[in-house]
Amino acid sequence: MPKVFITGLGFITSIGNDAAAVTQSLRELRHGMVVYPPFQKADCPVKIAAPVKDFDTDSPDPEDWTYPECYRVRREVLRSMGPNAFYAWCAMRQAIEDARLAEDDISNEDTGLYAASGGSPHLFGHLLNKMHDQGVMRCSPMGIVAAISGTVNFNLVAQFRIKGASTGFSSACASSSHALGFARDEIALGRQKRMFVVGAEDGNTDSILPFAGMRALSLQTDPALASRPFDAARDGFVGTGGAAVVVLESEDEAARRGARPYCEVAGWGQASDGHNVAISHPEGHGLAAAMTRALRSAALEPAAIDYVNAHATSTPIGDISEAHALRAVFGPSGARPLVSSTKALTGHGLSLAGALETGICALALRDGFVPGSAHITQLDPACADLNIPRETLEKQITRVLNNSSGFGGANVAIVLKKS
Amino acid sequence: MTDSANNNPSKDDSSKNTAGTTPPLPTQTQENDEAALRESLKRCSPVTVEAALAFRVTRDPAFVPAIVIGIVERFVEPDLRSKLKGGADDVRLIDDLGIDSLTMMEIVILVEEVLQVQINNDELRNLRSIGEVKVFIDCKLRGVPPPAPARFLPIEQIAAVMPMQPPFLFLNEASVGASGAEGKYKITGDEFFLQGHFKGNPVMPASMMLEALGQLAVLALVEGIIPSEDGLAVDPATIYFTSCEGVRCHRICRPGDLLSLSVKPKRAKMPLATFEGQIRVGQEKAVVVEEITLTFGYAGAPAAGTAPVENTTATALETTDSAATAPANS
Repeated sequence: MPKVFITGLGFITSIGNDAAAVTQSLRELRHGMVVYPPFQKADCPVKIAAPVKDFDTDSPDPEDWTYPECYRVRREVLRSMGPNAFYAWCAMRQAIEDARLAEDDISNEDTGLYAASGGSPHLFGHLLNKMHDQGVMRCSPMGIVAAISGTVNFNLVAQFRIKGASTGFSSACASSSHALGFARDEIALGRQKRMFVVGAEDGNTDSILPFAGMRALSLQTDPALASRPFDAARDGFVGTGGAAVVVLESEDEAARRGARPYCEVAGWGQASDGHNVAISHPEGHGLAAAMTRALRSAALEPAAIDYVNAHATSTPIGDISEAHALRAVFGPSGARPLVSSTKALTGHGLSLAGALETGICALALRDGFVPGSAHITQLDPACADLNIPRETLEKQITRVLNNSSGFGGANVAIVLKKS
Repeated sequence: MTDSANNNPSKDDSSKNTAGTTPPLPTQTQENDEAALRESLKRCSPVTVEAALAFRVTRDPAFVPAIVIGIVERFVEPDLRSKLKGGADDVRLIDDLGIDSLTMMEIVILVEEVLQVQINNDELRNLRSIGEVKVFIDCKLRGVPPPAPARFLPIEQIAAVMPMQPPFLFLNEASVGASGAEGKYKITGDEFFLQGHFKGNPVMPASMMLEALGQLAVLALVEGIIPSEDGLAVDPATIYFTSCEGVRCHRICRPGDLLSLSVKPKRAKMPLATFEGQIRVGQEKAVVVEEITLTFGYAGAPAAGTAPVENTTATALETTDSAATAPANS
């Protein structure tokens, strides 16, 4: 099968709005959490979020938004976007520039786009409120395409004139990892030469706070302590938004263009827990199976993996479940890869997570570092056997595994290899 | 999602106006209405906002043009807004202002909200120019039926109904309404008559521009712009040119120019129909004709009383060509 490479990245995140800023934050363990003003209400126990910086997309009217001047865009482009699609549009521009793609490289039948987002709950709420308050015919004609869960692929495919395969993925927090896995297959099977993979979420009151009801969000008031994957005192995740775009290309296409790949997407695997609609399998069975399949797909033994970017969101149950899965996969061979959760810095971006963390792993492979797992004061004894660096290590690694788990027990593992 | 909606700050804010058990005082309601209207029109010009506020009080249709133009202007990209200046009613929403069907929906929703009218999808489809939009809204507010919408004809439909055919058909598209017809013709440079007109200097002959206007008048007749007698339809085979008066050429037209043609009926009774017409290129006047008269008959009716002068419009037009072919500024 032809090899598949990552040749471009784009980031709009709580820890930086380009690859350089994200890398610097990872190296310095600089987190993106803040005391988030919209949450500061007496009836809201959640106080912390990890918003995208330099963008104000709170208004349901995109013409009210403020954002960096370099992304200035015509109204007719902006009008059909929620915050998630606009973040993705900005990240897409970066990724295209990073991969040095010409217009002809983007708009042709051999180039596709897979995207993941949960839609824009805020815009959807606004649309429905307006419909109920002012009548059916007062709904914005753009409301639906800007709000429903396919909004990111609708907008990007149209705006960037994508002609190849395109669709949206919906497996909650595993969505963009699924998108990446299937995009890799499109290229590996010879169906496409190039794929854009996009993860994007709004990261505002309406996309984050509904998780409060299921007690999944951290109630910490100190931004530096709010997200603590693997810490004994972790109490939930911190919501974020933003977008990450990963450009995948076939080996031939990368060579033809003279592209300098970040790394190879060597394999991937997925498996389901078949257990609970919202809770990970307590023994991490599904995630372990996904990792095993990913390793088999990449033809690698567990001991070959240097670093695992864990899904670990900082919830009490989820992190332990993943620790069990890691133990099941790596323990028998005695392998002890470095394990960290960069969500301690970025927050958890739901559909964004898989693409963002794959991008982080690609940066780590290219630049020779292992992101530390921040904010651990007291390691949970249940994770004591994991090889968790508390600080970022300057270390050249060659093989990385990235985990994602979503509602319904959907698990995806992706193996990246230094090229 | 329910919890989320209850926590939504914007919802909390919007519910302030209706909170409590005491009904708001009339002045408060007025103030709230005005504030809501200003919010809806926040990206429109002050003139538009003031016209809308005045309209809410007086219901005077005289404010409608300023409101409608102001709302259209708000949705037009800044670099195209100059086309709306000067009150040109024939500025077209799609071709001239780049307004697509979804933007049209946004415009309609805002117009509906400001003028408190309801506009149906069917009524929208044929509104192609600013003038048509203004007339339509005015009729809507006055409670009278809007004029029949202009019918748009692409080149295929024009060719299907016209006696003239390529390479002697100088309309790329047209729309025919109750008050006249509009058409477009782009001079490609490949036209046969440019080969010798002039040597090394291709200029569309004025006679051909009059021919194009005459063809638009023919199309207007064929499409029934003249109220039919006894339900009879105009027979295309009976239409011929008879006369042309008051022709003035203002501009040389060359390959690449897009001619915007328009004709309006001045008087009509079988067998004669007289039109005024003009051609513009962008905002520049190219040709003005005070009167083009055609003769016509109805299908199945007795033959027209006036014999046709010539067999084709072009041949007949040659009789007035000596003045018309000279470039206006030569």
